[in-house]
Amino acid sequence: MSSSPPSSPIDPSLPLRAKGGDRQAFAQLVELCYPRSLRFALHMVGNREDAEEAVQDTFVRVYHHLGRFRDDGRFEPWLFRILANRCRTVLAKRRRHAEVIQYGDVPDHGAPTMVEGPDWMEEIHKVLATLPVEQREAFLLHHVEELAYEEIAAVTGVKLSALRMRVKRACDLLRVRLAEVRRDDR
Amino acid sequence: MIDERDAVIEAVRGRLRASVADQADPRAVARILSAAFAAPAPSRWRRWLDAWHLPVMSRVGAAVVAVIALAAGFVARGVLPNRAPVDPMAVTGEFPIPVTPASDPRSGAVATQFVFEAPAAQSVALVGDFNGWVPTAAPLVRLRSGVWTVTVPLMPGRHVYAFLVDGARSMPTTADRAPW
Repeated sequence: MSSSPPSSPIDPSLPLRAKGGDRQAFAQLVELCYPRSLRFALHMVGNREDAEEAVQDTFVRVYHHLGRFRDDGRFEPWLFRILANRCRTVLAKRRRHAEVIQYGDVPDHGAPTMVEGPDWMEEIHKVLATLPVEQREAFLLHHVEELAYEEIAAVTGVKLSALRMRVKRACDLLRVRLAEVRRDDR
Repeated sequence: MIDERDAVIEAVRGRLRASVADQADPRAVARILSAAFAAPAPSRWRRWLDAWHLPVMSRVGAAVVAVIALAAGFVARGVLPNRAPVDPMAVTGEFPIPVTPASDPRSGAVATQFVFEAPAAQSVALVGDFNGWVPTAAPLVRLRSGVWTVTVPLMPGRHVYAFLVDGARSMPTTADRAPW
C-alpha cells in the first residue's frame, strides 16, 4: 500500500501564531510541510543534498519573512513560492543540463502503476529531469503537489493560460519520452 | 481536455507522490529549526517593508523609486555625487539571509544537538556548565513525535548537563551529576 505526504490544508492559525513569535507553531509548520517540500525540491533539483539544502533555506526564509505573510492568505502557496525560487536558484547554478538521478535513500512505497518495470522509477526521474524547468515545475505543482492553477499562478507569477500550456506540454513530453525509454530498453 | 490524466500520467503522478515518506525526519526538522532560530533577524528596514503587506516587487519597486527620488533630490541640490543609489540586491528581489551556523570555526565551538523524548511534558530545557545552569538559556522545541530538541554550540570536551522537564531535573543516565 502506498502512502504520500498529506495534502490537506494547514490549520490557518499555525502560520499566524508563528508570525506572532510562537516557535512551537513554527516547528509544527515545519513538521507538517517538510515532506511535501522535500518531495517537490527533490523532483525539481534531482539530488537529495541540494533538495534538503533548498528546503532548509526555504524554511529559514519563511521564519524570517513571516511578517510578509498575509493573515487571510493560504500558507502552502506562499511556502511553495519561496521554495520554487530556491530550487530555480539551485538549478541556475548548475552547468550540466542532463542529470543522473540518484535516489539511494528515498523510500519507494511501490505506488500502483500501469506500466511496471524494475527501473520504472529511475526512468521517470530521468525523463523528468529532461523537461524544461518551467514545465517540470508546473507539472509537479499541479499533478504531484495538487495545487490549483490559481495557486500555482501565485507561486510562479505566470498567467493561468500559460500555466495550463506548460502542464500540458510537460505531460506530452513525459508520455513521449517515457515511451522512447521503454522502446530503447527492449 | 487539456488537463486530462491518462494512465501514464496517473502512474507517473502516483510514483512521484509516493517517493517521499509521509513523516518528517526529526533530525532534518531539528536542523531547520536550529538554522532558523540561529540566523540573524531581518533588518529593521526589512521588517518595516514586511509590515506593509505589499507584494514583493511592488514594495521593492516603491523602495527603489523612493531611494532614487531622494538621491536625485540630493544630487540636484548638490549634496550627493551623481551615482546609482540602488542596491542591486533590492532590484533583483533577492534578500539573502546569512545563516549563522551553530558551529563557529573561529572559536572552535561545535553545533551539538540534544534530543529528549517526553511526549507528555509541557516544557523541556537544557541546563549545563556551558550555559550557567540557567533554566531559560536553552529551551527545547517539541516536535510532533513527542521528541524535544535543541542545538547549541559547545566547545569540544566533556560537559555536565541535565534536562529540566516541567521544571524538574532529569539527569541523563550516563552523565555525571550536576552540581545541584
